[in-house]
Formats: sequence, C-alpha cells, structure tokens
Amino acid sequence: MPKITIDNRTIEVEDGVTLLQSCLDEDLEIPHFCYHPAMTAPANCRQCLVEVGMPRVDRETRERVMDEDGNPVIDFMPKLQTSCSMKVADGMVVRSHRTSELVKRAQKDNLEFLLINHPLDCPICDQAGNCPLQNQTYKYGPEGSRFEFRKVAKPKNIELGPRVVLDGERCINCTRCTRFTQEISGSHQLTIIERGVRNYPMTPPGVVFDEPYSMNVIDICPVGALTSKDHRFKARIWEMSQTPSISTTNAKGSNCVYHVKDNLVLNITTRTNMGVNEFWLADEDRLDYKKFNENRPDGPTVRGQARDWDAAWTEAATLLSGVDGARIQFLGSAHATTEDNYLLSRLAAHVGADTPSYIPHIEEGHGDGWLRTDDRAPNSQGCERLGFFPVDADVLKSRLSAGEIDVLYVMEDDPVGTGVCALSDLEGVKIILHHYHSTNATLPAASVALPAAMAVETVGTFVNCDGHAQRLRPAKAIRGVNRTLAMEVGKSRADLHGTPFDRWYTESNMVDCEPGWVSIPAIAERVGLNLSYKGPRAIMAELSDSNPAFQGATYDAMGEWGFRLDVVGQSEPHPQTA
Amino acid sequence: MTDFIKNPVVPLPDRMPDPVVAKDDLFFTEDEKKQIATWVSRYPTADGAVMRVLWLAQEKFGFLPPEAVQLVADTLDMPYAKVYGVATFYTQYFKEKKGTYVFDVCTCFSCQMCGGYDMLHYLEDKLSIHAGDTTEDGLFTVQEAECLGACGSAPMLQVTNGPYVHNLTREKIDALIDALREGNMPQFESVTLPQDENELGGNRRTDVARTTTYTTPPVSETVK
Ligand code: SF4
Ligand code: FES
Ligand code: FES
Repeated sequence: MPKITIDNRTIEVEDGVTLLQSCLDEDLEIPHFCYHPAMTAPANCRQCLVEVGMPRVDRETRERVMDEDGNPVIDFMPKLQTSCSMKVADGMVVRSHRTSELVKRAQKDNLEFLLINHPLDCPICDQAGNCPLQNQTYKYGPEGSRFEFRKVAKPKNIELGPRVVLDGERCINCTRCTRFTQEISGSHQLTIIERGVRNYPMTPPGVVFDEPYSMNVIDICPVGALTSKDHRFKARIWEMSQTPSISTTNAKGSNCVYHVKDNLVLNITTRTNMGVNEFWLADEDRLDYKKFNENRPDGPTVRGQARDWDAAWTEAATLLSGVDGARIQFLGSAHATTEDNYLLSRLAAHVGADTPSYIPHIEEGHGDGWLRTDDRAPNSQGCERLGFFPVDADVLKSRLSAGEIDVLYVMEDDPVGTGVCALSDLEGVKIILHHYHSTNATLPAASVALPAAMAVETVGTFVNCDGHAQRLRPAKAIRGVNRTLAMEVGKSRADLHGTPFDRWYTESNMVDCEPGWVSIPAIAERVGLNLSYKGPRAIMAELSDSNPAFQGATYDAMGEWGFRLDVVGQSEPHPQTA
Repeated sequence: MTDFIKNPVVPLPDRMPDPVVAKDDLFFTEDEKKQIATWVSRYPTADGAVMRVLWLAQEKFGFLPPEAVQLVADTLDMPYAKVYGVATFYTQYFKEKKGTYVFDVCTCFSCQMCGGYDMLHYLEDKLSIHAGDTTEDGLFTVQEAECLGACGSAPMLQVTNGPYVHNLTREKIDALIDALREGNMPQFESVTLPQDENELGGNRRTDVARTTTYTTPPVSETVK
C-alpha cells in the first residue's frame, strides 16, 4: 500500500484511490463540492486544491534523490492540484490548508468566486444549516466580497419535475445532479445548459424530471439550488430532530433519517449504508411520511366505544379464552416488527391456534431491481423466517363463510382494506385488531381495536428482501409512557444542532397507541402466558439464539448498519413454549 | 455584453415548445447518414462526432429546434439531454430562428477599444434593430460576440458563422450590407503582417485568394 505524507503526517492509503478520498477516509477534512464518492470526478468546483509533491528520482539510477540529511528531495508541482482527481502515489507529499498559506488563500479566493453570483438568501433557504457552501464559507471563506456589480439573475422556483424545485441562482454548477442522472439513475433527464455565468441545470425541452429517484439530487446538491417541492419552507433543519432508522415503503429497507418536529415526521432523507442502499433513497421512501402523522387513532376502543387500555386488553383476553384454538385465526403482519410477530406466534401457540399467516403486499411490476421492490411491506422476510405463510384469501374466505372461525386476531394490518376479505365476510366473527389508522377498513368490524405504534414510534427489527436484519429506532414519542421507549427516544433523537427541539410540544401529536411488544404481553398475561421481556432487545436476543433463521441478529450485531442473516428457506416453526 | 451587464438576467428557455420542423422532414438522408458514419468512424465513440452532426443539422434545418437536437441524439445513440447541453453551450449553434445573415459583431476587449461598439451601434441604426434581433424581412440578425480571435484586425465581425470582415469601418459595413442584399457573401480573407508584403508577395498562405494587411487599428470614438 502506498504511503503518503499529508501535512507532515505519514499515512498508508489504499492504492488507486484519489487523494481527496484518502484524506476523507482519514478524517482529514478537505473542503470540496463537486466530488462525490459514487460518481466520476469532473474537478470543476476547484475547492479541493492542495499542494502536491513527488520525490525526485534520478533519471539514470531510478533511485530517489536524497538531501544532505538523508531525506528524499521533494519536487512540488508548479500549480495547486485538485485532490479529487489526483490518484495517490507512493511517496507523495501533500500540503493542505493546515500547513500551506497558498492553499488557504486559494480556498478563500475560490469561495469568493463561487459566491460572486450566489444570492445571500440563507435566511430563507431550506439548505441553510445543512449547506456545504454555507459551512465551508464560514470555515474557509473570505469575510466579504469585492464584487460590487449586479448579480446575475437566473430562473428561480422552477419545477424541474413533480418533486424537485430549482433555484438557478444558488447553483454553483458542480454537476452532481446531472451526473446523478447520467451515472447513477441513468434517466438522463438533466443537463447543464448555456455557459459561463449563464449556466444552470435544466431538463431539455419536452422532458420532465420525474424519475423515481429524482429527489436524491436534493441530498447531493451542495447548495440550496435543488429543494423538495414537498418539504420546501416547512421547517428549518435545526428545528427538527434527526433519527437514523429505516424506511417502510418497500422490502428493501433503505436506510433513512426521519426528521421530526413537535412529534410530527416532516421529512425523510437518505442515510448511507453501503450494504443496503448505498447513498440513495427512492422518492417513494421519502414522501411516505404523512401516514405517520395523519388519521392516527386516539386510544383503544371496544365495540366502537372508547375504553382505557386495561379494559381493552382484558376484553381481548376474554375473547381469546374459552374458544377452541382451532377456531381462532391469527394474522401476523409484514408491517409489524419481527419481535411483535414472534410474540404473536407465541400467543397463538399458547391458545392452541395455528401459526399465524400474514397478508402479502405484493404489487407486481412495481420493483425495479434497485431500491424499489414488488413487495410494498418492509418485513415480509421477518414473517417468512418466523415460519408464517402468506395468507390464502380464498381459503380464509371459505373458512369464514363455513363458520369455522370464531375469532380473528389481526396484527397491524387491514384484511378488508387489502381485499383479503370483505366486511360482510366478517359478520359474527369477533375481531381483535391492532391498527395504525382510523381509516383502517376492518375497524368497523372490530370487537377490540388496539392502536399500534408505527415504525417511527417503536423499537424493533425488520428483515429486508436480501435477508438484512435492521433495527428501527423511535423518531417520535407516543402518549403512553414506557421506560424502554423513553430511553430509546432519548438516545435515537440525536440533537444534531444543539437546539432544544422538544420545545414544541403539542399533546395531540403524540398518538395514544402502544407497540405490539406492550399490547401482546398484556393480553398474554390475561390468558395465563408470561411474555414479559425487558424490551424488544431481549426478545431479539432470544430469537437470535433459538431460531436459526435469525442466528446472530442481536441488537448489538445489527447496530447502525444491520446484520446480514444466513440464507435459509422457511425456518422451522418456533419451539412451542408452554 | 453591455445589456447583460446592465441587466444580467438569464432567461428560462421554453420548456415545452411546439415542434417547428414537420415530422416528415425530420430525418437525415442516406447521403447524410453516410457522411455521419465517416465522421463517427474517426472517434473512439460516436459521441465524438456530436458537434459535427449538430452542425449538419443546423445547416439542414437552418437552426436547432429541440426536435433537431433529438434527431442528432437518436442518430448518434446519445442521451438527448447531453446533446442539448452541447447545443446550448456553443453560441454558434442557433437555438432559435435567425436571419439569413447573422452578424456577430465582436465587442470583446480589443475590438471594444478599437470601436467594436461604434460598429455595432452603426449596424443597429442602419438596420433599425437592437442587438439580438432580426430585421423584419428576415434577412439580418445582429448580435454581440466575444473575442473571435482576430484582435489584430479589430474591430471585426463574422457573417453567419462564416467569413470574417476585418478592419471594420462604416463604409465597409455599408458595402457589406449592399453585397449581402444581392446575395453575395464576403469571401474568406487572410490577414497578413506588413513585412510579408515585401517578403512573400504579401501572403504567407498559398491556399487563399484574398489577403489584407494588418493596419494600425482605429481607436474607439467613445474611448477617444
Ligand atoms: S443544482 Fe446543485 S447539484 Fe446541480 S449543479 Fe447546481 S449546485 Fe450542483
Ligand atoms: S471537489 Fe475537487 S474540484 Fe470539486
Ligand atoms: S477582441 Fe475582437 S476579435 Fe479578439
């Protein structure tokens, strides 16, 4: 491996890597805008300039020339080099702004150039607070500008497509967005038009920037030129807490960050995980957040009447007791966590019912082999690995109409809404329903309705389509006070910007719901089954120990980036515990 | 450039324009395709020929509306957006319809000092149009250009991406317009150094018919 010396520090670096990347890998900051690790380096922003020298080599002997002290003589290149396009070489000596006045000056002057026509509208810009241009100008830029002429006015507030809005004046022409459409998504919907001070990214005439991954350019744009049509002007970045978690729109389980203000999810952005989604996140994953805020139920009900949790759990337990287990049908959920599904299967076994099935959410043709899948639920693999089978709607319907089912226990899904059965099929059947939304179409038939915490309110594990087990972290708080949850919320809502974001406190934004791992043990307890664990962490620890399909998937092993489970077929049904 | 400095506004191009070239006319003939194939064969990838093929399209259709750019992209199997980027980068590709004769009057540094703007304004007055516009009869377009690399014979202009007219004077402009109205394009002219007059019979190049000699350029009236 080549050795290079940066600012008098010698490090070993990977061969064939660019100088900038090796510095970043070493946590040595070099300011830059246009470079992105996943794309080619056009070296057009000129912010990453450094001094680069190579040891002098004797032409005849091919040996390094040494000075009197026995150190290699270094010949510096006459001009500053862009570190993003320069490959490392053994013996290379680099001076960055830490040791070179020249580099410092170059960075400062370059920023002055970049800001010549950049509007000073940070106070109303969505990117402010999270803007590489703003940050680097504070750190390395000049205090003022010597440019005294009118700034160039470019098109503003232009909808490049249905989801991305362009402010041409803010653009610094780094070409990250156009390279994304050329090299990553391949849609070729963007290009830089015109030249010199007049240029900016645009769709060619007749083209709309509507590819299913268009919003990634918002993340990679190093300024506020590209903003989300949906999130524009909704909240400043420092008003929201940022929780690293995973998305729920499909079975890929792309890693994301939930932005929450006053217990409402306001935005979802990508989180890098080279094992799953790399740097990218599909638009559908980003826009699928309103479901966390809207139409949420307000506490449990029994036959449509609001009751307290105790009464509702007791009622559910009563429905389960005294019925022949064979006449109870349990439906697990590909939307619920593995932990909750596991607890459900334990409960089902206890009352003598079959292993739960789950409702598949397959939308043929939706997947693209990248980050979108045909499966529109996040945890079908978790269900499969627990030995759950997709429910056969015809069988279920015929059993219902033959009167073979007395109690239907539905966890975090909607059999009527998904068309598995109709409301009329459910007449005379007692239904226990854990639901997310007051719009759940099965709700009118529910005997006991138990609002359930959604993926952003709970702790748990989803297994993605490739068998990658990943942890969910709570991004918003729920009404019920729970020690485990309170601790996790505290831990996962990292305050990135040093602001007391929980100043906004609207009681009604905290949903009166409970995670499955609270509700199911409460019901179990009332039918004589002890399912009390010290939180989901302990449930997963047990599962990873006892079920080969989850071997190794402890919370510690999953950590931030998840844990790749072994490929297994259907796992054995769980050992029936008394 | 003056207008842009006073009023530096970059317009948004029409994003959903109606096509101007009829569908039936939007193709390259077999001969043109053969010609394109030879150009393409000179480069490692077809992309290399994009500028030449855009030029061909401009000569064929008079200018480059989006559908012509799309045709070029399809012909070379390149992304349309990329070809559009190239077409907008170069001012010599006309994105909208221009006059039969386009005057690119150089108003860059050297020409400016030697009266580039005087010439531009003279042309504007003479044709009663503003820089950037086209005369009503569709014959002439006047526009400002940046340095065309002929500073030695400043002030100068270029006619429709073709021949240069050097050492401009008002009389030369009058004569040029009269000639163009008759349909006579100025011929290519090589400009040579005064000392060549004696040495090489006035011309370093053997392949051009017309030469002119560098003269001491005038000084712009506004600078005087
Ligand atoms: S819009 Fe943003 S990403 Fe695109 S070129 Fe401009 S600065 Fe770069
Ligand atoms: S990051 Fe190197 S030139 Fe932009
Ligand atoms: S300045 Fe006019 S040709 Fe160079």
